[in-house]
Parts: sequence; structure tokens; C-alpha cells
Amino acid sequence: MSALLQVSNVTAGYGDGPAILNGASVKVEPGKVHCIIGPNGAGKSTLLKAIVGMLRIREGDVTFKGESVKGLRPDQVLRKGICFVPQERALFPKMTVRENLRMGGYSMRDKVDLERRIDEIEARFPILKERRDQHAGTLSGGQQQTLSMARTMILRPEIVMLDEPSLGLAPKIVAEIFDIMRVMTEDGITILLVEQNALMGLKHADWGVVLDLGRTLFEGPGQEILNDPRIQELYLGGRKAA
Amino acid sequence: MADMIQILVLGLALGGVYALMGSGLSLVFGVMRIVNLAHPSLVMVGAYIAYWAFRLGGVDPMVILPVALVILAATGVLLYKLVFEREARSAKYSEMTVLLTFALAMVVEGALGTAFTNTQRVTSPDYATDAFFIGSVFIPKGQLYSGIVSLTIISALALFLKYSAFGNAIRATTQNRDAAELLGVNVNLVGLVSFAIGIGLAGAAGALVSFVFSFFPAKHWEWIAILMSLVVLGGMGSILGTVLAAFILSIVAAYVGFFFGATWSTLTFFVALFVVLLVRPQGLFGEKPELA
Ligand SMILES: Nc1ncnc2c1ncn2[C@@H]1O[C@H](COP(=O)(O)OP(=O)(O)OP(=O)(O)O)[C@@H](O)[C@H]1O
Ligand SMILES: [Mg+2]
Repeated sequence: MSALLQVSNVTAGYGDGPAILNGASVKVEPGKVHCIIGPNGAGKSTLLKAIVGMLRIREGDVTFKGESVKGLRPDQVLRKGICFVPQERALFPKMTVRENLRMGGYSMRDKVDLERRIDEIEARFPILKERRDQHAGTLSGGQQQTLSMARTMILRPEIVMLDEPSLGLAPKIVAEIFDIMRVMTEDGITILLVEQNALMGLKHADWGVVLDLGRTLFEGPGQEILNDPRIQELYLGGRKAA
Repeated sequence: MADMIQILVLGLALGGVYALMGSGLSLVFGVMRIVNLAHPSLVMVGAYIAYWAFRLGGVDPMVILPVALVILAATGVLLYKLVFEREARSAKYSEMTVLLTFALAMVVEGALGTAFTNTQRVTSPDYATDAFFIGSVFIPKGQLYSGIVSLTIISALALFLKYSAFGNAIRATTQNRDAAELLGVNVNLVGLVSFAIGIGLAGAAGALVSFVFSFFPAKHWEWIAILMSLVVLGGMGSILGTVLAAFILSIVAAYVGFFFGATWSTLTFFVALFVVLLVRPQGLFGEKPELA
């Protein structure tokens, strides 16, 4: 099967600073859930930012449906059908839930269609309807993450990239977040997930990618990576205790 | 008692113009993280436009107001393109812009001094020296009109920010620039438009100021201190906060002036600035500040 998104040997860094990514490669297959794991500072977030054009790719290439998206601005990458929810969740704290959803469709021309899609999203996520006139900053962590993820669905993207969606959330809420991810895949959305919680991430992923020091160490089916002795030793051991 | 009401009325009436000056400053700070020290010097430019239109053509300052707004907004576009856009890529952007706007204020002051001399000016349409009376309380027409016009303009701005798609993009950029960009907002265009609006509001405020206060080129130094106190008390970047702060402080200043004399009245703003920075640096409505 040909890749939907292909990251090949990417080198990138912040400004003129040192390279943070040093030959990172990821192959994203349509319809699947992919999980990137790796220790703190491995460059996981940096990789997602490089894909959407928030920082310049120095070497290597990123192709989406066979076409290079290297050098495009974030808004141009978005229009291709790749949505990104960064680690900080990217909400507008002093805008209402409804206004945040509306910003999700800012790039849409047809504002009538936009309102219709927001209604759909509200129907699927009742909590967002209930809280529609409340400032996003007043929502709980889980609700904020729900809003961030639901907001990407307005554009009906092909790929959604999620950077540590479970960060700082209670286990019960984390389960809800993974439920939303399942809903997204049922909608035909391909997912590229970064997880600090490797066990949790890999359990839900079809494909796992291990990143360290800015390069891809190895990859494989989620279950296999989960049981790989190198992983057990390198990451999961310490992480379990934490 | 009548005195107390009288002072309240005078404070309220002045609050409007301060609010208008402050909201332009606040908008620019919110979107671009520029502390525009040149803002009041550009208010001064608006005041001179109104003054000369009145002197030469007898044009009412409130009629010239839209013209001053447009001229200053266009100036804002030029300034943004020539100066601030290029600096936007610099890592020390906020620090740089403090120096840049400080220099700009001096240049504007120098140019105004050369062109119009340092004489005190005031535009004097009939209403500037007239007043309404409600019982024994008098309301100076000039201040009342300037307050009403200011609040009208601020309301228009607020409606634009709240209900238009581009206005929402401006607010979004203020609250989370990266997120706005990720959602397809052209943040550079947002910067340009907000800057133009902010400077345009300075021009509009200038037309009103021209008949409320007497002015001369160096007067903007006093205003920058006053405006900083409004913006800091309101919470850097919060327009609603700035407007409220403008009314609160000008009312307090009016009472201070009544009880302790006019010199102390201006001091109200500086003391407020100082106290807010020490006690509640995020102001009434601000986030935890990056500055201060
Ligand atoms: N804005 C930035 N400017 C400069 N260096 C940065 C910036 N953001 C991250 N870095 C550096 O890049 C490296 C990789 O960071 P990155 O955030 O990509 O790691 P990560 O794998 O996402 O880690 P975590 O699990 O902690 O989120 C780190 O050494 C970090 O210090
Ligand atoms: Mg990260």
C-alpha cells in the first residue's frame, strides 16, 4: 500500500540552532493509527512541527499523496488536509467554545456550510454544545482536549496529528480521548499520534515508531513494538515506574 | 453633594477619550506584543490635522475625525511595512520595538515642533466652550461629545472583533498566535490590519483631543505615562480592561484633583501604574504577564 504521508530522512532545527531532527523517517498509511514514542527531548514534537511547516526542513523530504509539502506554510499544509493539535492544545482561552470551533473552519470559504458542520460536531460531542458560550479557558483539561480534537474534524481532514493528547489527564479521561480517536478513524481519518505514555499509545496503535535523538530507531506493528525487548529496556521500564 | 456629582460627571466625560487612546495601544500590544511608545505622538498628529483643518477651513474637528483616522491608518500601514514587519523575525522583537517606538516618538515630536512650533494649541469649535446644565451640574459639551464619539468608535471596534470573521482572527492571534496560524490565519496580515486600526484610532482620538485639551508637540510624554497606566491596569492587551481602567482612573483623578489640586490629579495615573505593577501585574483582565 502506498504511503499517505511519507517523512524521509528529515533534518531540521529551530532557527539557526543545532539540528534537532537528524534523519527522522515515518511512513503513514491511510486509515491507520500511528504512534511515535521516544524519551523526553527525542524530537517528537519537533517532527510534527516540521511536517506542518512551523520550522524549516533542512534536508530530506515530506510528501503527502506523493507530492512534496516541504517549504509550505502551516496554513498551506492545513489546506492540503493535514491538521495538527500541538502539545499545548492550541485553544483560544478567552473565546467561547463555539468561537473556537468556528476558528477551526477559518480556512473555509462557505460560512453557511461551516455553521452546519459545527452543529454536526456539537451533536456528536454534547459537552461542547452544553458549554458552547463558555470561554474555552474555563473548560477542564479533558474538555479542552475534546474541543481541540473535535475542532480538527470540522475541516474533514485526511490526517490528524496529535501531540500528547493524554498529557496531564486522569486515566478515565485518557480513555475518553482514545475513544474520540477511534471515532475519528471510523470517519476515515488517519492518525499520527505522539505519546509520552508509550504503553497506552502503542496499545491503541496499528503502527509504532521509535524516535530518539532526532532519528527513527525502528518501527513496526504496535503490538510488536510493545513487546520488543529493546523498548522494554530503553523506555518502558523507566516510564512504568514514573 | 452636588460637587461630588459634578466631579463624577467630569471624570466620566474625560474617560472616553482616554479609553479611545488606550484601546488603540492595547490592540496593537495584544496582537503584536509591541509597546508602542509612539502612540500618543501619533495622537498628536491627529490633533494637528484637526487643528489646521479648523484654523484654515473652519472644519469641525468631529467632521475631520474620519479623515484623521484614515490618514493615520495609512501611516500605520507604512510604518508596519517599513519598520515592524522586518523586525518581526528578530528574536528580541519586543525589546527592539521599545527602542524603535521610542525613537519614532522623538522623530514625530521633532517634526511637529519644526512644522508647527511649540506653541500651545487648542481647536475651539463653539461647543468646546459650551455646557449643558442638569440642575446645578454642568456638563461641558466638548467633553461630552468627545466621550460619546469615543464610546461609539470603541463599540464599533468591539462589535467588529466579536462578530466578524477577521475580527475573530485578530482576537485568536492575540490569544494564541501559533494556534491561529495553524488554523490558517495569515498572522502577518492580522498584524498589519491591527496596527493600522490601532494607529487609525490614535488619529481619531487626536481629532477629539484637539478640542478637549490644549496641546503642543512634547505633550505626548505626559500621555504615554497615562496610557501605560490604563493599559497596565486593564491588563496588557485587553481592550475591555483598558476602557474600564480609563473610566476608573479618570474618575479617581477627578476626585484627587478636587481634593488635593490639579498637580496631584495627574499623579493618580502614575501611582496607579506603580501599584498595579507591584500588586497585580496582570491587571484587571490580563493573563499572567510576560512583561513587567
Ligand atoms: N522552540 C524551541 N527552540 C529551540 N529548541 C527547542 C524548541 N523546542 C524544543 N527544542 C529542543 O528540541 C529538542 C527536542 O524537543 P521536542 O519538544 O521535539 O521533544 P519531544 O520529543 O517532543 O519531548 P517531550 O516528550 O518532552 O515533549 C529538545 O532538546 C528541546 O530543548
Ligand atoms: Mg513534545
